[in-house]
Amino acid sequence: MRRLLIILLCLMSPLLWAHDMDHMAKAPELGASAAFDSQGRLWVVDAANGHVRLRHSDDDGRTLSTPTQVNVTPERIYAEGENRPKLAFGPHDEIYVSWSQPRAKPWTGFVRFARSLDGGAHFSAPITVHHDRAEITHRFDALAVDGKGRIVIAWIDKRDLLAAEAAKKPYLGAAVYYSWSDDGGVTFVPERKLVDQSCECCRIALATTPQGDVAAFFRSIYGDNIRDHAYAVLTTPGQAATATRATFSDWHIAGCPHHGPGLAIGADGTRHAVWYEAKSQPTIWYGQLDPGHAPHHRLAIATTGASHADVAVHGHDVWVVWNQVSAAGYSLVLRQSTDNGAHFGPIRDIAHSPVAVGSPQLLQKNGQVFVAWNTADGFRLIATESTP
Amino acid sequence: MKRLLATLLLLIPALASAASLQALSAAEVPALLQPPAHGERVIALWSLDCAYCESNLEALAALQRAHPKSIELITVTTDDITRRPAIEARLRSMKMTTYPARAYAEAGPERINFLLDPSWGGETPRVLVIRADGSRIGVSGALTPAQLQKIR
Repeated sequence: MRRLLIILLCLMSPLLWAHDMDHMAKAPELGASAAFDSQGRLWVVDAANGHVRLRHSDDDGRTLSTPTQVNVTPERIYAEGENRPKLAFGPHDEIYVSWSQPRAKPWTGFVRFARSLDGGAHFSAPITVHHDRAEITHRFDALAVDGKGRIVIAWIDKRDLLAAEAAKKPYLGAAVYYSWSDDGGVTFVPERKLVDQSCECCRIALATTPQGDVAAFFRSIYGDNIRDHAYAVLTTPGQAATATRATFSDWHIAGCPHHGPGLAIGADGTRHAVWYEAKSQPTIWYGQLDPGHAPHHRLAIATTGASHADVAVHGHDVWVVWNQVSAAGYSLVLRQSTDNGAHFGPIRDIAHSPVAVGSPQLLQKNGQVFVAWNTADGFRLIATESTP
Repeated sequence: MKRLLATLLLLIPALASAASLQALSAAEVPALLQPPAHGERVIALWSLDCAYCESNLEALAALQRAHPKSIELITVTTDDITRRPAIEARLRSMKMTTYPARAYAEAGPERINFLLDPSWGGETPRVLVIRADGSRIGVSGALTPAQLQKIR
């Protein structure tokens, strides 16, 4: 009997070990966000061991500070794929952080928010942004600050899907909801629905218009699972926001693209956008949005192996970056326009990674343009003039 | 002692099913793509975030049960194997533990996506069918009855 027990224990030890591994500290996931504050200091948020953690750099990313914890009490945090902690600054460099917290059931989440008024030394206790507390999807949060200093957060929300299912009515995808804070993030107003039946698994892109409003560009659903994109200005007090179809690729998929768009709005109001579709082959498009009509200057920026593009504009310079994968690993790839997006130059590799990478993010500091690239080997900030 | 032994014996099935989830590294992709000796290998790609994947896996499992000698069904999640507890829990809730299961051994999915099928941009569900004659088909999104018919 004793021998049998020993044999059993020996046989089971690797299995038990595998289970224990699940609860041990592991490498941070790749979902991270970065931004420069008004002083040119770089800030990075990601998640590790139940904490959103904040680091900063005064040498353009060559060295990062030791992390501070945004949430002191550990909680679950989405930090991979299209879900990642977000970072934005108030008018006086207040640090605002949002993230999505998985709940117990699959596809559920709460949108969380915390702020620091002392340069990241301390954070407020995290609050849940939405007033709805159902254990359903409220996730894929997107965070921006408008011209009046309001903190605007938009997210994907399944309350209307569940209501439709209960009423046995057809409903595709999920809704987009948003809220804002007029008091610097102490409280958020009751959320408003922007649109029903949008895509349930793609990041929402936010950008600020020249008038100081926050605009959203996101993958919606038209007809029978046509997953094109919509554009909307997220109006704060006043009239209701309306979402208008802004891409017309007609990609039909009853599934999850896991591939949200990018948006940057120039001082002249030009809405520079990048988006992904795979109607005939995987393709990243650039175009200038004209909601209700096909985008202008539409260009297939990249195809096979290209993913997760971002776009930035400064004057008449427009940059598009994306991840280009091959059997050998990942390249960070850039195309630049110097005529406000009418034409783009050749494809340029600016960095390589043999290990997995997160979505690249274009950042600007005093007219200099960088790409934040989180890799399994660590966070990197890459100047757009770089060569691998 | 007897009680401890009985407890351990009871634990084994749960642990054994958990252990059947194997990592899929980039280096192991060519072996997975080798044509089967006969019939079809159906690689059902899914992800934790994909609410469409469960019904797709159920449909493919039903097809496999209808053609058990011809169809080899393998589930592959694009999620990193470090999310093993969540992946295994989902496989159990979807009643898919009887099929060989793999999970990507990389923190991001794009490279293995590309190696499995360069014409696939990572959308899920995705099914990749490899026939004994070496031909392949790939279909993205929830399979329609007509698409299911074409697999077999």
